[in-house]
Amino acid sequence: MVVYSAMEWYHILAWVASVICFGIFFGHFIRLIRFGMPKDKAKAQGRTSAGIRYAYINSMMPQHKESAYLHLPTYTAGIIYHLGTFLSLLLLIFSLINIWIGWKIPELLGWILGGCLLISTLCGLGVLIKRIVKQELRSFSNPDDYISNGLTTIFQAITALFMAFPHLPAVEMVYFIISVLFLLWFPLGKTRHILYFFFARLHLGYFYGRRGTWPEH
Amino acid sequence: MKPIDPVKREKALALLASTSDSKLLTHLNSCVRCGLCAISCMYYDTFHEAKYIPAVKVDIVASIYKRYNTFLGKHAPKLVNARPLNEETAEEMVDLLFGSCTMCGRCVTHCSIGVDISYLVHKGREMLAEMGMVPASLQSTVDAAVQTGNNMAIPVEEYTDTIEWMEEELQDEVEDENARIPLDETDCNIFYTLNPREPKFFPLSIKAMAKIFYAAKESWTLSSKYYDVTNYGYFNGNTAEATLIARNLHDEVLRLKGKRLILGECGHGSYANRWEGPNYLGHSYEFDMITAVELIKEYIDSGRIRLDKSLNSEPVTIHDPCNLIRNGGLFKTLRYVLHASCSNIIEMDPYGNDNHCCGGGGGQLAMSEYNERRLGIGKIKADQISKSSAKIVITPCHNCVDQLLQLNHTYKLNVKIMTVAEIVANALIL
Repeated sequence: MVVYSAMEWYHILAWVASVICFGIFFGHFIRLIRFGMPKDKAKAQGRTSAGIRYAYINSMMPQHKESAYLHLPTYTAGIIYHLGTFLSLLLLIFSLINIWIGWKIPELLGWILGGCLLISTLCGLGVLIKRIVKQELRSFSNPDDYISNGLTTIFQAITALFMAFPHLPAVEMVYFIISVLFLLWFPLGKTRHILYFFFARLHLGYFYGRRGTWPEH
Repeated sequence: MKPIDPVKREKALALLASTSDSKLLTHLNSCVRCGLCAISCMYYDTFHEAKYIPAVKVDIVASIYKRYNTFLGKHAPKLVNARPLNEETAEEMVDLLFGSCTMCGRCVTHCSIGVDISYLVHKGREMLAEMGMVPASLQSTVDAAVQTGNNMAIPVEEYTDTIEWMEEELQDEVEDENARIPLDETDCNIFYTLNPREPKFFPLSIKAMAKIFYAAKESWTLSSKYYDVTNYGYFNGNTAEATLIARNLHDEVLRLKGKRLILGECGHGSYANRWEGPNYLGHSYEFDMITAVELIKEYIDSGRIRLDKSLNSEPVTIHDPCNLIRNGGLFKTLRYVLHASCSNIIEMDPYGNDNHCCGGGGGQLAMSEYNERRLGIGKIKADQISKSSAKIVITPCHNCVDQLLQLNHTYKLNVKIMTVAEIVANALIL
């Protein structure tokens, strides 16, 4: 086991950016929790707990959503892309801690992780290209859409590279610098939906659960 | 367009800043503008213009929120398309939020995130209402309800004459001179409500429900003043007016000491009273409140009415009013009642919670400014009806009936449109 004796400047920046990112998300989270659920005075007709469960599980299945089953390639690419984002975030947490531990990722594992993230990067690129090429999507897109998509895709790509070549100092430096940019944008752009998505499903399940619409017949 | 009053603009903006729960904050921050909601929207599906994509409607409200309430929106607005609330934006809001959305909520169930798009559209309407920018024809409908007690400004004398006439028709039909349509009676089990279209244009639907009450030997009454189940204040976004209309009905039930408020066949009226009314008034109601469809199911279950479904043998299909089914949870109840009343039901495709709006919801029927769009998007419903091969379309909503009648004429569907009360009354065994 190798123990690093000093952090590089890009390690420090990455830690600072992580703290800022986490702090902003934590603030959003606390605000959402503090505001709580709607104080609905109408008499419930169904069970909100059942509606919420349905909102997170069944209603997210592709067969229940036109946004999925009528757009299977985009849906699939989106799922892989999001899995890639979560994997990249987990690997970033690991990498930040590993600055001190210095654990060497086994080469085969590194290549597998890199390969997976390469696929998710391509999916992200596909989604980005679709936004650029499709006139309708382009017409209501704004810089946030391109930055969020672009930065997340680059983040996955550099993570893939870092997993495959962790011993290259230049790759490591670029990896942490890109991570800094990603972490600073993450809670500010539409990428913040990583938090708001879960609350959106919660509110949807609450709404339809109270009315007895969900769970569906 | 005349300039927006600065005080009113501030009140409109305050609607986005204040929150009593996390719902508004959540939905304003959730849309990722993937555009996959497009195909679920009748407007987009008909006209294929990007402006009709539901995410665009979300974006116009969210962009204003960002401009005044978020870090990037305040300091780098162009990065996140944060827009100021000015005359240009407001004009676009009117066209998108009033003129291009029925608030049917179909896009909500298909949204990849789960953004409550119709909730945000309604929030945008509230903002426009604060600024006095409700389309004139819709506002006049609300004004009529506020000033006269019903949205068609039917004078009391005309209304009571119609009720008396229907009572005579009922007596003739059931051959019982004791059959009644009570008005202003106190201490009844049921306080029933109507869509003003019924006494104005379709009084036979009043007789149909009266026949059901007669068969069930029910103690019931109508009010001569506040009988209107509709609440167009829900559509115009003016919460004060919506509250006043809901309160008038609520207080009338108490005045006549009705034990249960039965919401007549009207989607948004049922929704506005059942789901919004207690929140408008700030307290749960002192009396039970259910829809006419639920009451009829109770009568069938308890044996208070008996039905012979062979009396309705023509093929029928069911139009599911958005505010009763998708947003009201009454899919099973409606099917139960209709399967007990009809022997040949053919479902539309899609049906139930996923059914398409008739196109007349969200106040569209009251907004003559958007008639062409309303009839245009109605083709989707017209095609559903045609493909079903049904001869009768049943729907428990008089606004839907109005729209379906117009679609029937425009697209030459050659079908009959009936309410649930009418089809059930046809099957009654007296």
